[in-house]
Amino acid sequence: MTQRMNRELPAEKVGHGDHLCLVFGDDAEKRRVATRYMTDGLALGERILYFTDQSSPEAVRGWLHAARVDVGEACARGRLQVVAARDSYLASGRFDPDAMIQTLYDEVRRSLDDGHTGLRVTGEMGWALRGMPGAELLPEYEKMITEVFAGNPASAVCHYDARLFGPDELAVFDHCHPLKVELTPLHGHGALRIVPAFQDGRRALRVIGSVDLQTTDLLAEALRTARSWPGDIRVDMSALEFIDLTGLRLLARTADSLGDGRILKVEHLPEMLRKVIRLAGLDRSPAFVVSPSGEVPPS
Amino acid sequence: MSSGHDHGEPLAHHVLIYDTDEQFLAATLPFCRDGLERGEAVLAVTTPANVTLLREALGRDAERVEFASASGWYRTPGRTLAAYHRYVQDREDAYPRIRIIGEPVWNDRDAVETDEWLRYEAAINKAFAGSRAWIVCPYDTRGLPVSVVAGARCAHSDLMHGDAVLPSPHYSPPDVQGSGWERRPRPPSGASAACMEFGSDLSAVRAFAAARATELGLPAESLDRLVFSVNETASNALRHGDGRRFLTLWRDGERVVCDVTDTGGTSPPWYSGYLPPSPDQASGHGMWTVRQLCDLVEIHSLDPGTLVRLQLDARRGP
Repeated sequence: MTQRMNRELPAEKVGHGDHLCLVFGDDAEKRRVATRYMTDGLALGERILYFTDQSSPEAVRGWLHAARVDVGEACARGRLQVVAARDSYLASGRFDPDAMIQTLYDEVRRSLDDGHTGLRVTGEMGWALRGMPGAELLPEYEKMITEVFAGNPASAVCHYDARLFGPDELAVFDHCHPLKVELTPLHGHGALRIVPAFQDGRRALRVIGSVDLQTTDLLAEALRTARSWPGDIRVDMSALEFIDLTGLRLLARTADSLGDGRILKVEHLPEMLRKVIRLAGLDRSPAFVVSPSGEVPPS
Repeated sequence: MSSGHDHGEPLAHHVLIYDTDEQFLAATLPFCRDGLERGEAVLAVTTPANVTLLREALGRDAERVEFASASGWYRTPGRTLAAYHRYVQDREDAYPRIRIIGEPVWNDRDAVETDEWLRYEAAINKAFAGSRAWIVCPYDTRGLPVSVVAGARCAHSDLMHGDAVLPSPHYSPPDVQGSGWERRPRPPSGASAACMEFGSDLSAVRAFAAARATELGLPAESLDRLVFSVNETASNALRHGDGRRFLTLWRDGERVVCDVTDTGGTSPPWYSGYLPPSPDQASGHGMWTVRQLCDLVEIHSLDPGTLVRLQLDARRGP
């Protein structure tokens, strides 16, 4: 069963040249990813530049302190800079993409000139929803800065809060980034990982590995979690290696139990397994929608 | 009909043994006409020659009978039984009764296939018990081996002759111990057999089955079907069995054969997987699916223990 190109990267795998978005649904997830990204960078001798919006700079420094970073020393040596976006690149009251791109180029060069091994930039993007002039240029800007990082010892993670941005807005920003941060797996097992994700701005579960007698309980638990999310449930099978009939029946039964017109949509399931669903008579519920392998849902 | 058949009764499964076109029509024509008059669904799956015969005899009524070619319908026992199940299930709400003429295909079947197709006929009695299907299976003695016709007499509860129906004195119900439907598995042939003992790690089972089946010449497009089926069968052995468990693959002529053996515990009945499971039923779905994915499936009781034999044709895809 084939694997599709995966755009998701765990926070600890981010490296030079990467430009990622982090779409998250809760503060703990954001803090975990941001902290990991920054502490990994500091450990590698890279410089950190964090532009806050919803978070206060004090809170961000507090996360690092809790992660045993000597924040005072890092700031003093110019290795860590946490500033509010409104006090820095938005201080003029408007967003100027060209100026910001130049700033980023300058910051990369300055970091290297100052003896750092690279630069990590994080930005919280909630300001884009508050009618700031120039904010409409943000998608274009996001596409353009990919080039600032590509080929340089630098990377960026842009934060989009799914509680602020709507699904369609998230979908737009998602596609402006070559990569996105993989969220914390709901379940990790040697043979099976189930990772929540935002795909096209909507919540999804990615099933990675094999669902069989040893791992069906993990799928059952993950589906129980997903049932509490609002709206439809998407299950992305592009990294599925194997699923048995018990696993397929679990998906069908979860779909049946949703009610309120909600559906469970299984995407990128190989043809043989779609056939199994028909043979087993699991294709009789309108709430259970199975789309073919390789078919990309409209964005 | 003078059969005195009670229309409130659930399944009827008759064999029609004939050796002339007239005998075929004498039974099937009133069967169709009577069904149409009563507003019942009528399906005729038979040879092209018999389709023509019956169509012409029915005249305008032929439009209200569904016809299908037996060669397209009778591919493998598991798929055929499931297709009839879906046909009946889809019509049970709309029709008081579903009448089916189903003439199995016997030419070009070897001994292993013939044996399983007769068991399929016997399993129909169990699989459709409780449905409102009325199934008549024609057997043309002009072209069939005596052993097949004898088997058909054992697999059907009643004999149809013209418009009369008589109980078959040879009938052997599928769920009676010692009914003759349970047979000893033939031993693996040749030196090509590969065997592994397995435990709870099913990924090792899947990998072994895929690698050996490929070596034995199973085409890539059939591999997923085999691996899925082996996994289901091995899962059952882990869930229900309590002995040592083995996976054995070999090549038998044009077939790749895969035995999943469990040396302990009681065995499920030989017709497991032929009975359509209801959606909320806890078990039975796996073997129902495996019967449709594999070309032949045999379930043998080892007493103690179970041997499930999965077979796929190495010549063709699904």
